[in-house]
Amino acid sequence: MIKNLIVLLIPLFALGQNYYAYVASESEDTVSLIKFDGNEAVEQERIDVGFMFAEIEGPHGITVDPSGDFWYISLAHGNPFGSLVKYSTKTNQAVARTTLGLFPASMEISTITGFLYCVNFNLHGSMKPSNVSVVDPETMTEITKITTGSMPHGSRLSPDGLYQYSVAMMSGELFEIDALDLKVNRVLDLENKMMSPKKMDGKIMNKNMQDNMVNNEKEETMMSSMPNMKHSMVKPTWVIPHPNQNIAYVAGNGSDEVIEVNLDKWEVSSRFKTGKGPYNLEITPNGKLLVGTIKSEGKTAIWNLENKEELAIIKNTTSVSHGIAISSDSKYAFISVEGIGGEPGIVDIIDLESFKLVSSVEVGKQAGGIAFWKKES
Amino acid sequence: MKKIILIAIVTLSLQLNHSQNLSVESNLNGLILDIGDTFQAESFISDLDGNKSTCERLIYYQKDGAFNVGAAIDPTGLLVASEPGVFEIVAVCVDTEDRKRLSQTFLVGVKYPKASSINFNVSGNLYVGNFAEVNSYANYADGKEKSDLNFKYQSSNPSVIEVDNLGNLKGIKKGSSVISASFDGQTVSKKISVLNNPVVSINLSSDSSGIVKTGDVINLSAELKDKKGNVLSGIDPKFSFSGVSSNKSTTASGLISESGKFVADIAGEYVINASFGNTSSSIQVKAVDRDIQKEIVKLGLGEVFDRRTSDAWFFEGTDGKDYGVSGTWGSDGTAYFWDVTDPTDIKKIDSIQVDARIVNDVKVSEDGKLCVISREASSKRKNGIILIDVTDPSNAEIISEYTTNLTGGVHNIFIYENHVYALNAFANPAKYYVINIEDPKNPKEVGFFEVDEPGSAIHDVWIEDGIAYSSNWKQGVYLVDVGNGIAGGSPSNPVEIGNYRYDSGGNHAAFPFKSKSTGKFYVIMGDEIFPEGVDANTYNETAGYLHFIDFTDLKNPVEVARYEVPGHGSHNYWVEDDVLYIGMYTAGVRVVDISGDLMGDLYKQGREIAKYGTGHPNGYVANSTMLWGAQYFKGNIFYSDFYTGIGALKLLDKKKDNSNTNQFASDQTLKEALGAEDLLDFFQILASPPIE
Repeated sequence: MIKNLIVLLIPLFALGQNYYAYVASESEDTVSLIKFDGNEAVEQERIDVGFMFAEIEGPHGITVDPSGDFWYISLAHGNPFGSLVKYSTKTNQAVARTTLGLFPASMEISTITGFLYCVNFNLHGSMKPSNVSVVDPETMTEITKITTGSMPHGSRLSPDGLYQYSVAMMSGELFEIDALDLKVNRVLDLENKMMSPKKMDGKIMNKNMQDNMVNNEKEETMMSSMPNMKHSMVKPTWVIPHPNQNIAYVAGNGSDEVIEVNLDKWEVSSRFKTGKGPYNLEITPNGKLLVGTIKSEGKTAIWNLENKEELAIIKNTTSVSHGIAISSDSKYAFISVEGIGGEPGIVDIIDLESFKLVSSVEVGKQAGGIAFWKKES
Repeated sequence: MKKIILIAIVTLSLQLNHSQNLSVESNLNGLILDIGDTFQAESFISDLDGNKSTCERLIYYQKDGAFNVGAAIDPTGLLVASEPGVFEIVAVCVDTEDRKRLSQTFLVGVKYPKASSINFNVSGNLYVGNFAEVNSYANYADGKEKSDLNFKYQSSNPSVIEVDNLGNLKGIKKGSSVISASFDGQTVSKKISVLNNPVVSINLSSDSSGIVKTGDVINLSAELKDKKGNVLSGIDPKFSFSGVSSNKSTTASGLISESGKFVADIAGEYVINASFGNTSSSIQVKAVDRDIQKEIVKLGLGEVFDRRTSDAWFFEGTDGKDYGVSGTWGSDGTAYFWDVTDPTDIKKIDSIQVDARIVNDVKVSEDGKLCVISREASSKRKNGIILIDVTDPSNAEIISEYTTNLTGGVHNIFIYENHVYALNAFANPAKYYVINIEDPKNPKEVGFFEVDEPGSAIHDVWIEDGIAYSSNWKQGVYLVDVGNGIAGGSPSNPVEIGNYRYDSGGNHAAFPFKSKSTGKFYVIMGDEIFPEGVDANTYNETAGYLHFIDFTDLKNPVEVARYEVPGHGSHNYWVEDDVLYIGMYTAGVRVVDISGDLMGDLYKQGREIAKYGTGHPNGYVANSTMLWGAQYFKGNIFYSDFYTGIGALKLLDKKKDNSNTNQFASDQTLKEALGAEDLLDFFQILASPPIE
């Protein structure tokens, strides 16, 4: 009887829940606020971002601070540097702005330092090491730039907020930054797990890092492009640390695989194949499921992290699947899908219990960065 | 068990209450340093009762940003004072156990260093009744020299020389006085002599007949003579003017230069003076309205209402007919091809769609065979350029794409002598690449040009006579020899030959202009400024203006004039036969007379010949004008407009008809203006003798 009552009541509770996420449309210079009531997603508000008229400034990365009071958007293009803009979730009005590096992209805020760590993707011209900007969102000051690899992407913090992880797409490396020391802590070559990284000054670095680690932009601009820099076969595009295990998962966009990294041993512990072009990865807050966008196929994959079994592969509503935001209760995945050319971007909502696409909503062109904001009754 | 829980709750609440009353204190508080000092910051936590505790982890930074100067501090708190001023240093305390963070901002002062020496000089001789200026400066140990300092001045004999707070000397009578300049506890003194004023008469003349049009620059000539009637050399008079406007509701206005050039902005009577000490001479000049406004009529419109239009280019095809190509913005990567042979009947004849959301720029080779379009916001993030065969523009075909080094997006391009100049505008340093397209199937990079400054930017490039003119925002315009030969440059070896920057830092476009009427060489530099921010879906306030830089001497460019429409900003433009055709964003098409010498405010001088607003009720934004650019082509003015597409206008050799003032008016067509059915009819009407 009680069991039956609970079964009857569950939908009522679910019906009372609203989920909110922000998604950036890179080719529209807009951010959309999406509301999902458990059945249907709607675009509650579309916010214009950017400051230059005849330029698309390319809002790429988006994140909501741990308090939920502010959201942050990285604008990829400037003159020439991109910028970070802080918005109030209450009004969706910009409240502060600061300049970052070249093509600032993914970012996240540490729950311990309160700092925001944003990778400067720099996809312009010849390949050379780029960096991670560290910003204090309280004063919107860029505190420092930490040099990492070529075309860094994906910026996620460890659950305790003490380490920031990103991958370098062209040099095929995983970087761990000490969120307090503001220095690169460890570098892992994702191409060849047999290659032993070199140690330097108590930190583990590869050859590129030793040659090129310069925590000063002026010096960095003096550096010529690196003719010997390798072009990764893995082309890692994302890294996500597990919420309660010392494991991180990397999307091998070029090698069509997910790479599991043991963070204690700092080594690749497993690799498993995916569809073509895995791009972003997120783990449900309960730590059970890994969700990945399969960009080249326009699909979203879901794996059981206990056995790495692919539980579902879901066709997205349009092509070029991009970002993932997962609701705080681990029930839904919000997937941004770019589309091509003049097509609108789409946010697909996937039920993580039934593994069904339950709703879709159109947003601006080239929907990319996406961040979960809140669940409320 | 309950007791334990209760104790835990009480302890927790005490801790929370405790933490709310904590603050960061530091030895940075009130710190004042000398340049060159180093200082180790030490900070701690303090509660309201003054109890101090250490902070588990402190991170320091300066609010000026990551690459700050002045009082640069590293995250560990090591501070180096390198420049004077007051700096905000933030100390962030992170408690990893309690997972709390506190921060506090401290003001740190770095004292201005003492000047190692000071000095001054006086420009020219000082004559009785005349003025001379003192230029003072201070030297510092680091080799820097500063002149914008608050010097104090004194004259030992004010009955001979008076000196004011700004260091202006006035000769009162013949003799000498010791002038002292003091700063930073140091004083330097010099004996200055006052000479008798040798000038007893000034013969002032000009190259005008006494009646000029507004905007005409007149050249003044002043002969200064002594009491024997000898012409004095080596001394120059001061020029000034006063005037009364012909219009009682406005003031006379003009500009006079130290070298003796005068231009009137407003019609009226002007008195021009040349003076030296107590001797002066005047001439009168009457300025009349320039009165050059002409009728402008719409010939045709190539409608693009469902998306926004970017740049357009108009050209003669290989079949002798006239064509246009236009890009689209924030859309689906479409470029349109148009038959504009009959500008009153513009026909869309083909389109090409590429993987992009912006086709910002379009250009066609001089032989009319090859079109190049730029890509931004490609779904694959490999943007670059697309080469298109337009031998038959009604059947445009993509030949190749080229993305090397241009993946981040190409904003503007130019084709010149088998090379494409393509911008990598978002790189650092920003640059343009030179790509050989002799074999359009296999474009090949042969060179590049960049401004070698951290953070340099670029927005546009234009090439004429083998010289590339790049617009580099804050870095201004760069003139680069890419084949002219003036500096041995070539496409693979671009050589910089000139640069000019201005304070606003908004240089967005540049167009070279050799004045047919004067032989002078100008570069017209345009701003792009949106003072109130941007909304691409509605009316936007625009600002900025065109700067006229006299580049006749490449090494010494001089800004001489501006064209500024109040409340509106500039975008792209074109010059033909001393007439300027401008896409003025919200101000529409503007046609401006830039003949003769140029000086001062060209808009105010009434040099505008015609204007045309392009808003349309069915436009992407209804009834809104947002002119992208204008091109003079085969006697007509073609344009592209953000909200309506492309269009053609005709400037008529007919004075502007002002009879419709305060009447309802709409776009004037050829028929409405002259009763002509088409262009042929129009030319017949023009050729017909007036009916008596």
